[in-house]
Amino acid sequence: MTVKTKLDLNEMARIGMNSLESSKPQIVFGLGTCGIAAGGNKLVDFTREYTGYWQETGIQPEIVTVGCIGMCHAEPLVDIKLPGKPRVTYHNVTTARMKRIIDEHLIEGRPVKEFALGQLSEDLSVCEHGKLSYTWHYDEIPNLKELPFLARQVRIVLRNCGVINPESIEQYIARGGYRSAQKILVDLKPQGVIDEVKKSGLRGRGGAGFSTGQKWQFARNAPGDHKYVICNADEGDPGAYMDRAVLESDPHSVIEGMIIGGYAIGASVGVLYVRAEYPLAIKRLEKAILQAREFNILGQNILDSDFSFDLRIMEGAGAFVCGEETALIASIEGKRGEPKPRPPFPANSGLFGKPTNVNNVETWANIPMVFEKGARWFNSLGTERSKATKVFSLVGKIERAGLVEIPMGTKMKDIIYEIGGGMQNGRAFKAVQSGGPSGGCIPAEYLDVPVDYENLRELGSIVGSGGMVAMDEDTCMVDIARYFLEFCVEESCGQCTPCRMGTRRMLEILERICQGGGKMSDIALLERLSVQIRDGSLCALGGTAPNPVLTTLKYFRHEYEQHILNKKCPSSTCASLFLTPCQDTCPAGTNVPGQMQLVAEGRYGEAYEMQRQDNPFPAICGRVCDHPCEKRCQRNLMDQPLSVMMIHRFCSDKVYAGKAGYHPELASLDTTGKKVAIVGGGVAGLTAAFFLKRLGHDVTIFEAQSELGGMLMWGIPPYRLPRDILRWEIQQIIDLGVHVRLNTAVGRDVPFEDVLQKFDSVFLGVGAQNDLPMNLPNEDKPGVLNGMKLLRKMNLGEKVDLGKRILVIGGGNVSVDVARTAHRMGCEKVIIAYRREEIDMPAYPEEISEAKKEGIEFYFLLAPEKILVEKGRATGVVFRKMKMDEFTKWGRRKPVPVEYETVTIMADQIVTAIGQQIDTEFAGEMAEQFMDHRQRIAVDPYSMETSHPRVFAGGDAVLGPATVIEAVSHGKNAARRMDRKLMGEDRLERLQGLTQFEYGMNPPDNEDPLPRADMLTIPARERANNFQEVVMCLDDQCAVREAKRCLRCDIREDD
Amino acid sequence: MAETAARPTTTRSTATRPLVWEEKWTLDKIVASVDDPQHQKIRLLQMAQNEYGFLRDEHMRYLADSIGTSYTDLYGIATFYAQFNLHPPGRHHISVCVGTGCHVKGSKGLMQKLRETLGIKEDETTKDHRFSMKSVRCLGCCGLAPLIMIDKETFGRVKPTHLEGILEKFE
Repeated sequence: MTVKTKLDLNEMARIGMNSLESSKPQIVFGLGTCGIAAGGNKLVDFTREYTGYWQETGIQPEIVTVGCIGMCHAEPLVDIKLPGKPRVTYHNVTTARMKRIIDEHLIEGRPVKEFALGQLSEDLSVCEHGKLSYTWHYDEIPNLKELPFLARQVRIVLRNCGVINPESIEQYIARGGYRSAQKILVDLKPQGVIDEVKKSGLRGRGGAGFSTGQKWQFARNAPGDHKYVICNADEGDPGAYMDRAVLESDPHSVIEGMIIGGYAIGASVGVLYVRAEYPLAIKRLEKAILQAREFNILGQNILDSDFSFDLRIMEGAGAFVCGEETALIASIEGKRGEPKPRPPFPANSGLFGKPTNVNNVETWANIPMVFEKGARWFNSLGTERSKATKVFSLVGKIERAGLVEIPMGTKMKDIIYEIGGGMQNGRAFKAVQSGGPSGGCIPAEYLDVPVDYENLRELGSIVGSGGMVAMDEDTCMVDIARYFLEFCVEESCGQCTPCRMGTRRMLEILERICQGGGKMSDIALLERLSVQIRDGSLCALGGTAPNPVLTTLKYFRHEYEQHILNKKCPSSTCASLFLTPCQDTCPAGTNVPGQMQLVAEGRYGEAYEMQRQDNPFPAICGRVCDHPCEKRCQRNLMDQPLSVMMIHRFCSDKVYAGKAGYHPELASLDTTGKKVAIVGGGVAGLTAAFFLKRLGHDVTIFEAQSELGGMLMWGIPPYRLPRDILRWEIQQIIDLGVHVRLNTAVGRDVPFEDVLQKFDSVFLGVGAQNDLPMNLPNEDKPGVLNGMKLLRKMNLGEKVDLGKRILVIGGGNVSVDVARTAHRMGCEKVIIAYRREEIDMPAYPEEISEAKKEGIEFYFLLAPEKILVEKGRATGVVFRKMKMDEFTKWGRRKPVPVEYETVTIMADQIVTAIGQQIDTEFAGEMAEQFMDHRQRIAVDPYSMETSHPRVFAGGDAVLGPATVIEAVSHGKNAARRMDRKLMGEDRLERLQGLTQFEYGMNPPDNEDPLPRADMLTIPARERANNFQEVVMCLDDQCAVREAKRCLRCDIREDD
Repeated sequence: MAETAARPTTTRSTATRPLVWEEKWTLDKIVASVDDPQHQKIRLLQMAQNEYGFLRDEHMRYLADSIGTSYTDLYGIATFYAQFNLHPPGRHHISVCVGTGCHVKGSKGLMQKLRETLGIKEDETTKDHRFSMKSVRCLGCCGLAPLIMIDKETFGRVKPTHLEGILEKFE
C-alpha cells in the first residue's frame, strides 16, 4: 500500500489503533536498551514459555514490544492490557512476579496491586490523535499521570515513547503521525514552514540553543540545488540518553521531522549520524526507514506530492567531538572528525561543500508537533525566551532516575525533589551537574532557579543536551572536575594546542590535588589556564572544557581547599586522601576499623586507648555521639551499618570496670615551657587541653562554673550520660597535669587582657549556652522558662517546681532532654510542640523514639504565636497550625501557616528551647573584635585562628550549637595549630607515632548479611522518677560479633 | 582513547605477512559493497573490523590501495575513533561504562575489580584470549548505573561482588 491521500493515512491509523486497542489481551514489554539491560528480554522468553502451558484456557495474549517510557528506576516494566481496559504498568518485574501477574491479572482479570505502578487511564502525551483514555478504572491503582514522576511532565518529544511499538508505522500514524508532513506538503510553501518554525520559538535541543527557524532560513537562503539535512544522533554526553530513547522508542517522529525540514530548506537527502554504541537505535531506525519507503513516505514524490526525499544512516565510530557540526560533517565524509573554523557555516558550505542543516534528534522530534498543535500553542509553553519543553535525563544518586520531559522554566528543586524523589538512601544533596563535559555543577543555593537556556548559562553551566547528574555528599567535586577534564583530554581532537595541551596540564594539576600534592597557587593557575583554553579553541569542546572546573571552583572552592590544605577528601573519593569512609566522616578522625579489629581480638583496653589517641572521650562518645560514621558505613549497602557507637561504649565500660585487660598509657612529648590558657572547660576546651598537655605545654583551664564539662555536665541529662562516667573521663585529662581554675569567668573574674598577657597562646571554647528568645510578648512572665537554663538547674540537682503539665517548644536535643528530664521529675503530662514534621527534628532519632516510649507527647506543625497570661502568669500558648508547602532548595519542605487555624495548649510550665547563642561576657570590650555577624567567634576554618594572632577558638562558640564530636575535632585541630604556631612545626603526628597499636590486617572471610547489634534499653516503665542510664551495654559476645561485621575498608589491595 | 591507541606499535602484530586470497576476496567484497568508497572510509573500516574483530595493518594497507588512498590516511582515521581496535580482542569483550552517571555510582570500583580479577588493564586482552576490556563513555542506560556490557549483553546495577558470577557465564 502506498500512502497517497489523507484517506490512506486514516486507513493506516485505523489499523494502528486496532493494534493499540486490540481485542486480545496484551502483555506489553518496555524494551529499550535500558529495559533489555534490566532483564526485559529474559522476561519475554519466560512469558512465551509460560503462556504456552495454558493455551487450553483459550486466552492467547499478544506479546507486544514498546520503547522506553522513561522510568528507568522501575525497570523492567511490563504492562498488561485487557481489551477495553487501561494498561496497568508493573515495575521491577522478575520472573516470579511475572508469573503472578499473568496468573492473576491476565487470566483472572485481577490486577496485582502490590507490584502495580499505575494504570494508563489518561494519555500521558499532548497528542491530538489516538489518545489512550478510559472512563473505566481499576480500583486502588493510581493513575500513571498522577504519579509524582509523571505528573509535571508535558510529553511532546516523548509523546509516543513507551506507548507505541516503535517497529509499527501504523501505530505511529494512529497517534497522528505523518499528518503534519502531509499537511505542510499540501498547504504550505517552504518559506511558510520556516515562518511557522520561527514563530514557534523552537531552539536547538542539542546544546547551543540556536533558533531552529533561523538556522533553516540560512540553509534555505544559501544558493545551490543540492542541499542536505542531517540529524545529529551522536549523543556523546556522558549522562544523557534522550536521543537514544527517542530513536529506539519513536524513530518515525525523527523521520517526519526531517521530511518537514528537508522540504523547508530544499534538501532531498537526509543523513542520520548515529553513534555506533547504540545498535538497537540503528536497527529500529533502519526498519522505520524501510517501512516509510514501503509506504512512499520516503522516496520519489512522497505522500503524493512533487517533493522527493530520502534518508540514509551513517554509523558514527565513537568520537565525542563529532557532536560538533563541522566535525560531524567531516566524519560523514569519511574523514577524521576534526572541526573546521566557521564561517563558512554549514548552512552555506557543509556536507560535500553543499548547504547543510544539522539538528539534534530532539529538535527533529519536536517539529511534527509544531505543526500538529500549531506554532502558537508551542510558543505558549515555557519561559519567555526558552519555549516548550526539554527532555532531561535525571540520573546519578537520585531516587527516581529516568527521562523527564518538562516545560522550560521548571525549577531545579522540583526536578530533583518532586519528580526525582530526592537523593537515594536519604543522603544529602550536594550538586547537580548539567550539560555534560561542557556544563557545570550547580549547588543547592541555586536550586530555586527556573531551568532554561539563559539561567543555566548565567550560573556557569548549560542546558546542553539535557543530562542532569545528581550528586550527594559522597561525590567529591574535585574528582568530578578531574573526571570531566580527563574526558576532554581523551576526546580533544588535537587540532588546537590550548585544548590539546592545556586540558592535559589542567588534568595534571587536578590529579596532583586529588593525590594530596596540591598548592594553593594551583587554583589561580587553573583559572588562568581555563581562560586561555576557552579563548584559544576553535570549537565548543575546547571552549567549554574548563566549565566543570570553573563551576566547581566557584561553588565548591572549600572542597579544593580541603584537599590542598587539610590533605583530606571529605567525600572519601580521592584514594590517596582518604582512609575509610567512617574515619573520614568522623570529625575527630577516629580509627574505627582498627578499633573493631582490636575488639574482635578481645583487646578491649587497647581499643579504648587507641580511640583516645584521637578523641579523649570514648565513653562519652559511646553514649551521646550522633555517629555520622554509621551513615557512611559500607555495610549500609549490604545490610545495616556497624554499631560503631555501641562498640565505643563497650570498650570504655570495660576499662571503667577494670576488666579490659592490658591498656597502654598514651605517651607525651617533653615539656616545652610554653604556657597555654583554655577559656571554657567544655568539650572543645578539654580536648584542646588533652592534646596541648601531651604536646608538652603548660595548660591552664579557666571555667566559670563550679565543675568542668560544659554542655556535657549542664546540658545532657544523667540518664543519657551518667555523671561518674563523665567525671572519670574528665579526670583522666586533669591527671595529665592540667591546671584548672574553677568558678573563674574570664571577663568577669579575670580580665581577658591579663590572660592574653600571661599566656603564650589562648584557646576560646566558651560555648553557646544562652537561649535564643522566641520574640513573643509575655516571654518574660513567670511560667515561661528557657530550656538551657532549666536543664542546667535540673542537672545541678536544684529543686524546680514544674507543675503537672509541661509544654516544651522546639525540636532539638535540648527540647527532648528537657521533656525527658521533666518526665523523670514527676510531671504527669509532657508535651513537645514543633513547627515542622518529625522527620525534620534536629534531635537524634534514638532520643525521639525513647521519649515516645516514655509517654511524651509530640505535636507537629505548630508554630507558637501568642503566650496566654492569667493573673501575671503564663498559662498556655496559642499555636498557628502549619502545613508543609513546596520544597526548599535544601530538599526539606517549607512550613507555612494555615490560615484561620490555631491550636491552644495549656500548661503549668512553658519551656522554650528553639536554639542557643554565645555569651560574649568573656572578652569584655574586646568581644567586638572576635565576633562575626551571627554573634559567633569568627575563625579561619583551617587554622582555627581568630583575628588575634595568639588567640584560637572552637566548639559551639564558633559553630553555634553543634555535636560533641564536632567540638572534639575543633579542640584537636586547634591544639595542633596552636602547637605549630608555638613550636614552628607540626608535631601532632610525632606525638601520635609514640604509641603504636598492632592488629590483624585480614579482611573478614564471611561477608554474608548479619543483623546489626542494636542498642538495648531498660523498659520505659522503669524510667520514671529516676535518672538511671537508659541504654545498656553490649555483652562480650555481642560486641565481638558486631566488631567482626566490619568490612575493614582500611585494608588496601596494594598493602 | 585516541591517545592510547596511537602509541608506537611494538606490541602490535608481528612483521607484515602477505594476505591469503580469502582475505583479499573479503576485502574486495567490502569495497564493492559501498557506493562511494572514497567517502565511506569509516564504513569500510567498520566492516573490516566486523569481519576480523580488529584492524590488521595489512588489511588497512590493502584497503587503502583498493580505494586509492594512503595507508596513513586510514591509520589516522582508525586511531581517531574509539570504536576501532588495532589489537586482536579476546573471545569476549567487556565494555565498562564510565559515563558520568556510572562514575558517580562507582564504575571506578568495577574497573578496579576487573583489573584485579582478569589481570589486565584497559585496552588489553587476557593471555588466554578469553577477555578483553575497554572503558566506554556512556552506553546511555544511566538509569541502571553502574553498567557493564559483555559482548552484546548488558548488565545493570552491578556491584563489584557480582562480577565474578557474571564473568563465569562467558567461557
